[in-house]
Amino acid sequence: MQGILSNVKVLELTHSLAGAFCAKLMGDQGANVIKIEPPGRGDGARHEPPFIGGAPHPERSTLFLAYNTNKRGVTLDVGTPSGKELFLRLVKETDVLVESHTPSSLEEMGLEFTALQEVNPRLVLTSITYFGQNGPYTDYHGDDLIAQALGGFLYAVTGLADRPPMGTALYQMEVTAARNAAIATMAALVQQGDTGEGQHIDVSTFEATVSVPGGLIQQYTYLGGVQRRGGGENSVMDGMHLKTLDGEVTLTTAGTGGRAMEAWAEFLGEPAILDPKFTDRRTRTRNWKELYDLVQNKLAQWNNLDLMREATARGLVIGLVQDPVQVATSPHLQERGFLLELDHPEAGRLKYPGPAFLLDGENPSAGGRAAPTLGEHNLEVYCGQLGLSTHELSALAAAGVV
Amino acid sequence: MQQKSILSGVRVLSIEQVHVLPWGTAFLADLGAEVIRVESVEHMNDRAMGPFADGKAGEAWWNEGGTFAYWNRNKESLCLEVAHPLGKEAFLKLVKRCDVVCDNFRPGTMRRLGLDHESLARVNPAIITLSCTAYGHTGPWRAAGARARTVDAASGLTYLTGYEGGPSIRASSNYMDHNSGNNVAFALLLALYNKQKTGKGLRIDLSMQETGVQSIAPAILEAQDGYIRPRLGTAHLWKAPHGVFPCQGQDRWIAITVSSDQEWQRLRKAMGEPAWSMDARYGTVTGRWNHRHDLDKLLSEWTAPQDSKALMHHLQRCGVTAAAVYTAADLVADPHLNERSYFEAFDNKNAPAAGPRKLAGRPFRMSNYQISLRQVPALGEHNRKLLQELAGLTDGEIESLVEQGVLHTTPKPDEPRPQGGGGWGGGG
Repeated sequence: MQGILSNVKVLELTHSLAGAFCAKLMGDQGANVIKIEPPGRGDGARHEPPFIGGAPHPERSTLFLAYNTNKRGVTLDVGTPSGKELFLRLVKETDVLVESHTPSSLEEMGLEFTALQEVNPRLVLTSITYFGQNGPYTDYHGDDLIAQALGGFLYAVTGLADRPPMGTALYQMEVTAARNAAIATMAALVQQGDTGEGQHIDVSTFEATVSVPGGLIQQYTYLGGVQRRGGGENSVMDGMHLKTLDGEVTLTTAGTGGRAMEAWAEFLGEPAILDPKFTDRRTRTRNWKELYDLVQNKLAQWNNLDLMREATARGLVIGLVQDPVQVATSPHLQERGFLLELDHPEAGRLKYPGPAFLLDGENPSAGGRAAPTLGEHNLEVYCGQLGLSTHELSALAAAGVV
Repeated sequence: MQQKSILSGVRVLSIEQVHVLPWGTAFLADLGAEVIRVESVEHMNDRAMGPFADGKAGEAWWNEGGTFAYWNRNKESLCLEVAHPLGKEAFLKLVKRCDVVCDNFRPGTMRRLGLDHESLARVNPAIITLSCTAYGHTGPWRAAGARARTVDAASGLTYLTGYEGGPSIRASSNYMDHNSGNNVAFALLLALYNKQKTGKGLRIDLSMQETGVQSIAPAILEAQDGYIRPRLGTAHLWKAPHGVFPCQGQDRWIAITVSSDQEWQRLRKAMGEPAWSMDARYGTVTGRWNHRHDLDKLLSEWTAPQDSKALMHHLQRCGVTAAAVYTAADLVADPHLNERSYFEAFDNKNAPAAGPRKLAGRPFRMSNYQISLRQVPALGEHNRKLLQELAGLTDGEIESLVEQGVLHTTPKPDEPRPQGGGGWGGGG
C-alpha cells in the first residue's frame, strides 16, 4: 500500500491493545509494519471474544482483526538466544520499534533502549506501558479499567451520580495511549529526518487517561473542586437519551440562537414545551419528567435518519445514539468511503474503519490488507528479508523459536 | 536545556473554537511549531469558560481561564476578524508565510470566506490545510453541527456504554474532543512529515464521528456478524472479578481485574485465603464469570472496610491488578505522577493574580526533546508582531485595522464578564 509512511519500517513487539493500535495507525498510512507474536498462542488478543462466527478461533477475534490491519505478521520467541539474535537483525533494519513491556522485563531480555541503540542508532523506540518507564508504580499491573480508575475517568466522567463509578466501553484509554504514542512517534520521525538520530519515547496509559477529561485537574487546582460523575441524568434537552422509532437520540440546545425551546417547539410541533417552567436549564431539570413526556411523545414518531436530516436542515444539533449496526450500514459513512472492505482467509470479507481523515479527498488506507494470520509472513520476512534459508527457518520452527 | 525544537520553523494558522481543534494544535505548539490561534471577538466562549482562580473572573478574565490555558498552551494569539475584507487580506498575507491552515467551522464556511484549500493554495501552493468537522466535508450529514457527546452517540460508543443490563449512557461530555484532537495532531504531523520529504502540501478532511467509529472498530466488525456487545458497566465479557468494589469512606472504591486462574490465586492469597474463596464455583475462569454477582458481593465485603489506596498497594505487591478509583485531588497528590513530573505548575504572566496553578501534562516523554509549558497567549497578544514581521504591514496599516474594528486585544465592551468560577469544560 502506498502512503505517506511508505518508506518507514515499524516493528511491533507488544501485548497491549495500545501498542497494536499505535502500530496500526502507522500501517494505515503505508508504513511497513511487522508484528511479532509469540509462537504457538500468538498475541493474547487472538483469544479475546467475541469471534466472527461465534466459536473461539485464533484468527477470528474481532479485537485482533480490528487492530492489526495493514501489518505483516511473524512469530518469534525473543526470549531465546537465536530468537533474540533474529530480533536484533530486524531492529537493525527498522525505523521504529513499538513495545509494551515493563522496563524490568525488557532489561531482563537485554533489550533495553541503550542495547537496541547500539544495534541501530537511528531507532525510535516507542514504549507504551500502563505506568511509564520510572516512578514507584512502574512494575504495577495495569489494563484499561485500571487506567480508567486511577486516571480519574471512573470517578468523574461516565457513570451516574447515585451509582458506583462506571467507565466507557471498548478500551478507550488504550486507544488514547495509542494515539498519543503515534503523535510522539511521528514527532520523533520528523526529528529523525532532521538529525538522523533516534530516541526513546515513554508513553504512560495512566497519564494518557488523566489528560482526557476536559477540566478535571484545573477544576481542582483553580477552584479546589473535585469533579464527580453524573449531571446529565435529568437533562431532557442536554444529555438524556430519548427513543425514536428505530433507535435513540440525544438533543442539544445548540444552533437555536438562544431560543432553544421556541426552535424545538416549532420543530416538534409541541407548543406545550414553551411553558415558562421549561425556559432555562435549571427549570427544565426541575420539571424534567413533564418535559420528557412531551418531547418523547413527539420524537417517538420519527425514525433516526429522517430526524437527523430534518433537524439538521433547520440548523438544530442532535446526536443519533447509533448502535454499531446502524454505524456499519450508515449511508453517510458509505458515501464518505470511510469503511473499507478487506478479505481475510478465516474471518471472510468485512468492512473496517479507516483513519478518519481523507487526504486530498481520498481515504489513505484504501488498498490495505487484513490482519495477518499467525506467522503468515515468516517465510517472506526471515527468508526474503533477512536471507535465512528455508532449511534454517524449518530448524527454528522445530526448536519453537518461530 | 538548550534544544532545537522538533517543529522549529513550522508555522500554523488555526482558526479554532471550542475544544477539538485547539487540543489538536496544542501538540504542535508543544513540539515547537509557531501555532497562531486566530480569534474573533464574536466568539469569546473559549476564553469565558473558566475555571477562574478561586472562582473569580478578574478584570482581564479573557486571559485567565484554566481550561483555556490547558487547551491553548504554547500558542500565539491573533485576534483578527477574517470575515472583514481587511482582515481577510491580512490573513492571506500570513498564509504565504505559513505551512498549515486549520479550521473547525462547519463545512462551507471557509469557502464562503474565500479561505478554502483551493483559495489558499493559490496564495501558497505548498499549504497544508486541515478542516476538523463533526461529520466531514462530504456525505449527507456534512452540514450537521455537533457537540462532543453527540459525536460519541453517532459513532456508536454511547450505545455500548452503560451499567450492566441498563440503558445506554452518555459516555463522556468531551472525550471525543480529546480523541479527535489527538487524531488532528497525528494527521498534521503526517502532513508535516510528508512536506519534509516532498515539499508538498495536503488537504485534510478530518471527521470526529469517524474518529469515534475507528475507536470502537471491534464492535463494527461484530455488528457485521450480527453480534452486539452487551453493556456491562465495569464488568468484562469473560473476566471475573472485574469491576469496582467499595472501600472505606464516602464514595471510595477500588478497581480489581482478574484475568487468569493464576491471578485469582494471587488475589486469594492477598485476601488471606478466606474460606469462601475456596468455593469450587470460583476455581475456574468460567465458574467465576457465571457466579460473578455472588463473587462481587463477597469481594465487596472484604474491600469495604479498607482504605482504597493502601489496598491498591497491597494488592499490587501481591501481583494483583488493582487501582484505587482516584479523584482529581488524589491525582494531584499522587507520588507516582509527581515523581514523573506529570503536572506542570504554570505561572501565567497574563493572569498574575492566579499565581502558579498545576495543569495536566503530556502523557509521553521524549528522550531528545523536552516539552514544557512556556506561555498561554493573551487575547491578541501577538497581533502586532505577526502583522509586522510576517505580513509586512506598516504601523499605519495596523492602526487602521484597529480603528476599523478588525484587530482587537480586548473583548467587545458589551461582552459580559463570566459569573462564578466557570464550568469545567464540559461539551454541554
